[in-house]
Amino acid sequence: MGLRFITPRKVEKQYRKIFAMNLEDIAINETKPFFDLRGRELVLVRTGEKEVKAISTTCTHLGCKVHWEADKNIFFCPCHNGIFNPDGAVLDGPPPRPLDTYRVQVEGKVVYLYSETSES
Amino acid sequence: MSLTGWIKKSFPIDDEAMAEMSSEPIPNHLKKWWWALGGTPAYMFIVQLVTGFMLIFYYVPDPNQAYESVKHISEGVSFGWLIRGVHRWSANIMIASLILHMMRVFFTKSYRAPRELNWMFGVIIFVVMLVFGFTGYSLVYEQMSYWAMQVGTEIAGATPVIGPWLASFLKGGDMIGQNTLTRFYAFHVMILPVVSMMLIAVHVYLIRTLGVTDLRFKGEERDDRKTFPFWPDHAMTELIMVSLIMLFLLVLVLVFPPHLGEMADPNNTPLHIKPEWYFYPVFRWLKITNMTWGVIGPMIFLVLLFFWPFVDSFFEKLFPKKDVAFWIGVIGALTITAFLVWETLAVH
Repeated sequence: MGLRFITPRKVEKQYRKIFAMNLEDIAINETKPFFDLRGRELVLVRTGEKEVKAISTTCTHLGCKVHWEADKNIFFCPCHNGIFNPDGAVLDGPPPRPLDTYRVQVEGKVVYLYSETSES
Repeated sequence: MSLTGWIKKSFPIDDEAMAEMSSEPIPNHLKKWWWALGGTPAYMFIVQLVTGFMLIFYYVPDPNQAYESVKHISEGVSFGWLIRGVHRWSANIMIASLILHMMRVFFTKSYRAPRELNWMFGVIIFVVMLVFGFTGYSLVYEQMSYWAMQVGTEIAGATPVIGPWLASFLKGGDMIGQNTLTRFYAFHVMILPVVSMMLIAVHVYLIRTLGVTDLRFKGEERDDRKTFPFWPDHAMTELIMVSLIMLFLLVLVLVFPPHLGEMADPNNTPLHIKPEWYFYPVFRWLKITNMTWGVIGPMIFLVLLFFWPFVDSFFEKLFPKKDVAFWIGVIGALTITAFLVWETLAVH
């Protein structure tokens, strides 16, 4: 009972579809910072005419925030020198997997994102 | 009845037992001050307790107020900077002196029978003190605090088997936030002090019952070994040592008063981020290894350190004429020092 008391309750993740941006807000290959419903920063990358990726800026190694280094075209994690390419794939350093991505939906000229809700 | 008589009657003390306790024979090498530094971590721990209790009067364990309350302690409360400075520096001196004390015990092989168990208690105390330091600087809720909490809880999360539970337990959920700070606060001001006091009491009890290792130096015959009483001779040496250490502590606080970095920002890890110096070797290790070895490596080191008296005994039987323990100690100490220097000098 004591162990259960000090262990936080596991709440099933819940997602909500939210407005992220209009397609014309950024040109192809441009990025735009965005915050999900839990206040976590992510980056929206327009990868094509009607294609948008939403990449988490949380390093998959130990959870630090990566920095976008435009001159080198990489995401860099200052904690343990993890390096990711613009798609989030690991290029160098200790991260065990690519940067996480969010589910994105493009409807006409509007981009929607599925974000974890703050209750989860 | 006089006051002294009343106290003696109400609180009976066995004078003979007290005299016996205070006249414990101390080996002669402890007359030299550099052999009498083993108590330093304990003195620093007492300073930590006193200043820590004072800081509790003003600190607010809330993510929205923690940083401001520390700022208020440093800038608005009378002598707040001094109390916080003494708390911070005594923590650093405590960990530094613990490391030196453990190295002394290691290289003089004072962990050997019958003191194996006390060495093991010592290693546990060392780990507890590191957790103390980690939870302590996390409470400040500046950038370094926040990212230390993030990295620290993620490392805990990568522990085999219990990792996910441990990370969730430490964070109080799946993200760093109010619950994390409350839990760290509970550990720092309640759980760890009680655990530490019990461990230190056992450690000191075992030192008193097993006695201090009698070190023999070159040219000293077995018969040369002499002892001297704890009271008043050694007590005086300790008193002088404490006074000098306190003076050193005050000088450090006056010359390097405690600074306060930027307030924690969960969406921005600073480009130049480092933990406290005692975590530098592990921080560097995490940069050059993959996730699994990054976490398992330090664990293996701690397990090896914990069981060292038995590992040493195994090597002793295997290579009776070679001082394997000494060379493993030298290589270990040099490697850790190299990692520490590397991380100190490296920008990233």
